[in-house]
Amino acid sequence: MIARSTVTLQGRQVPFTPGETILDVAKREGVEIPTLCHDPRLDPAGACRTCLVEVSGQRRLMPACATKCGEGDEITAESERVERHRKTLLGLYLTDHPFSRDEAERGPPNELLDMAERYAAPTDWGTLDNKRAARHGDRNPYIDFDPELCISCARCTRYCDEVEGVTAITLAGRGSETTITTVDNLSLMDTTCEMCGGCIDTCPTGAMAEKLPLTHGLKKERELTKVRTTCNFCGVGCQLDLNVDPEGHDGRGRVVKVTSPEPGTTTNDGNLCVKGRFAYEFIHHEDRLTTPLIRGDDGELHQASWEEALRVAAEGLMGVRDRHGADALAFVSSSRCTMEENYLVQKISRAALGTNNVHQCAAT
Amino acid sequence: MSKEDQQHARGHLPDQLREAGGLTEGVARDLSRKTGLPEAEIYGVASFFHLLADPNTKLRVCTGLSCQMAGADEVLAAAKAAGLPVEGASCLAACDRPPAVLKERRVLPAVGLAQIAAAKGDWNAVHAPGDSADAAWAGAVGPERDDPEHLALNLHGAPDRSASAFAAAQAAGVDALFDQLETSGLQGRGGAGFPAHIKWRAVHGQAETTRYVVLNADEAEPATFKDREILLRRPDRVLEGLAIAAWAVGAKDVWLYLRGEFEIPLQAIEAEIERAHAEQRFGDIRFHTHSGQGAYICGEETALLEALEGKRGMPRLRPPYPVEAGLWGKPTLVHNVETIACVPAIVERGAEWFRALGRTEAGSKLYCVSGHVQRPGVYEAPLGITLDELVEMAGGYVGELKAFSPGGASSGFLPASKRNVPMDYKSLADAGSMLGSAGVVVLNGTVSMRWAVQHQLRFFEDESCGQCAPCRIGTYYLRESLDKSAGREPGTMAEGSPKGGGEKERLTHVADVAWQMNEGSICGLGQAAPLPLTTALKHFPDEFAAS
Ligand SMILES: Cc1cc2nc3c(=O)[nH]c(=O)nc-3n(C[C@H](O)[C@H](O)[C@H](O)COP(=O)(O)O)c2cc1C
Ligand code: SF4
Ligand code: FES
Repeated sequence: MIARSTVTLQGRQVPFTPGETILDVAKREGVEIPTLCHDPRLDPAGACRTCLVEVSGQRRLMPACATKCGEGDEITAESERVERHRKTLLGLYLTDHPFSRDEAERGPPNELLDMAERYAAPTDWGTLDNKRAARHGDRNPYIDFDPELCISCARCTRYCDEVEGVTAITLAGRGSETTITTVDNLSLMDTTCEMCGGCIDTCPTGAMAEKLPLTHGLKKERELTKVRTTCNFCGVGCQLDLNVDPEGHDGRGRVVKVTSPEPGTTTNDGNLCVKGRFAYEFIHHEDRLTTPLIRGDDGELHQASWEEALRVAAEGLMGVRDRHGADALAFVSSSRCTMEENYLVQKISRAALGTNNVHQCAAT
Repeated sequence: MSKEDQQHARGHLPDQLREAGGLTEGVARDLSRKTGLPEAEIYGVASFFHLLADPNTKLRVCTGLSCQMAGADEVLAAAKAAGLPVEGASCLAACDRPPAVLKERRVLPAVGLAQIAAAKGDWNAVHAPGDSADAAWAGAVGPERDDPEHLALNLHGAPDRSASAFAAAQAAGVDALFDQLETSGLQGRGGAGFPAHIKWRAVHGQAETTRYVVLNADEAEPATFKDREILLRRPDRVLEGLAIAAWAVGAKDVWLYLRGEFEIPLQAIEAEIERAHAEQRFGDIRFHTHSGQGAYICGEETALLEALEGKRGMPRLRPPYPVEAGLWGKPTLVHNVETIACVPAIVERGAEWFRALGRTEAGSKLYCVSGHVQRPGVYEAPLGITLDELVEMAGGYVGELKAFSPGGASSGFLPASKRNVPMDYKSLADAGSMLGSAGVVVLNGTVSMRWAVQHQLRFFEDESCGQCAPCRIGTYYLRESLDKSAGREPGTMAEGSPKGGGEKERLTHVADVAWQMNEGSICGLGQAAPLPLTTALKHFPDEFAAS
């Protein structure tokens, strides 16, 4: 028999699997523990200190994100001490961070401000001048870093290193001057950066933000509607969220940016590549084809309905089969097709038209 | 690149950065091509360490409290006025011979205005007074006698290269050795006072068989300069202690981490290592040295391990402790120089003998005495000696005692009324301070407490690693609050910042911030950083009151 391991969380006995952290168990049990530097895709850093809780046998408060449960541990996530800790810590953060939403929210919700509100952190402790250096004039087209909003949680640098394996950005300097930068403060364009934008996705305050919505003065993320879809740039099938401004495009809704779903909820685990995250302008581009076109006898393309277009294509294909046999046809599907689409391509090829000449361009 | 290759490349990175002349444009990219390590990582590492990050600064004037009390500010101002490439630096571990100046990596003691003037604008021509070679800078050490009967460190003793203690330990066996350490009551001399035998047994008992011993010779706690004297005068003792430790815990490789400013102590210990290796004094145990690159935090043992691995010196979360997962993840015994140097005497003369050397706690102890005393220096005395007795060894007070800092900047300040508290780990902790590194600074009536605190807070702000918010923001907040409450930055030593004109309410939240730093910080730096201010506010409230 496998002995069940348990800890006491807020006075309740709850099970855990050896290796699980206090945060893992608290999440499952619905006990709220705030975090800022935590991202389930990264090794815990325990640096932001928001998640400290009391653990029996430990004199010091322990970081829930990095502390593994031990058999019989008594964990207190709500107590006078923990409450004072959260309030004073967040109060201190706010001395080093703008706290009007206008200044401090560049798009995505600012998790620090939300948390400070939730725990009623003091806002009257005075303000410190920011000492974190910026990389002014980085000419890369996508990623902007605002040191005023940076809380040095190192999620971006750890993501770049641990998930992407790219290490284009680093913590630099030390103390209150600690900032995020590249080798010799170069533009991201001149580094190993692949512009995946994962730094933007993981940043809890919006210090790392996408340039386009900033320069276009677009609405904050709270005012946008998210529509989950599958990226159609390749066949991997990454899930992404189109962020739609419902009032845009004459009230029909306009896609103004792309964000990734919560890590752990989709197969791409919140990761996207440069295309999925940033190449969405084509959606509303004026050159985009929005109806089928059929080339007429005059040699020009003419707008057509789907029924017409499909009929013309079917007639052409069946004409070839009738004149030259089914094996005169071959089907090559695009690497941007999903698995379901590939399935349908081989179906039309084999079942509907009777040839095994079917291929997928990514197969070679 | 394999994991081992990467580890290897990283370990050499700080030295390579140093050889490349520090962090100038193109260096990180260049080293990345040579080593295969990411260029941003290399840049991040170099930018962490002052001696690498700012290669154009050739001179650094110590801004530690003892040096400030001896006029370091004027020396810095004069050097700047003379157009020298100069900056301030955190304590250089030469508080007994202030003001100290670092020339590249060499500490020059007692550099005054005359020496700056004599250099005529050439940084390379700045020398310590009376000694143009700048080589001999061992300070005063007491008692001034070779007395192995009564002194565990016995700094005036002749070098002993017989390895007799090493042999005796082996003859006794590990269990007997551990028992002996336990009975001796030896506590870590690096600051925390943790019983040594517990760590030795813990490393010994690990399942992993690759283990390391690491010597912490980062000595950067302001007002501390004892390890410097041990390395200079008794490198034989240090190596023998390390060899005993390595043999006992089953390590073959010993790493000695010296602060980068210890150019001369490094020469001393390297000469001894070379000799020991050549003589095979300790069998197949190998000693390796590593120079720090300018970061107080790397004295914190896990930050030290990170730096030794060639990373930014940011402390690790504990647990796991180094005894379980230390250098390159292997079980590691980390000790301060003084702790290690006590070991041979304990083995040779016995645990009871060592224990009896102390008064209120076990053993004799090196106290670093600086500030307003007649003869600043390192004094070996029974643990638990009082301040008055200690200062008597140092030739007596200069002026009248007003306050003292018993154990480095991290210990805060105590008023003259605490002069009879036994200077041991427990008694000073009970008094709201700590023995820490036993860097004792004596302040007389000419010193404004506000001024002294301003300098201590600036030190912690400069040296915070920046990893965790309570310390990164808190050290900045406290220093800024105190400056603003006074209306400006530190004034003169005597008057401190003038009263009036300041924003008194700036100090309103000090207690909350200090509480948060103590509760929330990852390591001892942030936890202790508020103490200079909170202890001074407690004991000298009038000096901070609004005018
Ligand atoms: C900020 C900070 C700085 C420290 N600096 C030193 C140091 O310079 N030398 C040292 O031996 N220990 C220093 N320590 C203590 C070490 O972390 C560690 O406790 C010690 O090296 C263990 O050796 P010991 O048991 O012999 O004292 C420092 C600790 C902190 C928190
Ligand atoms: S307490 Fe300070 S020095 Fe220590 S880990 Fe935190 S920021 Fe770094
Ligand atoms: S060397 Fe200047 S105060 Fe220590």
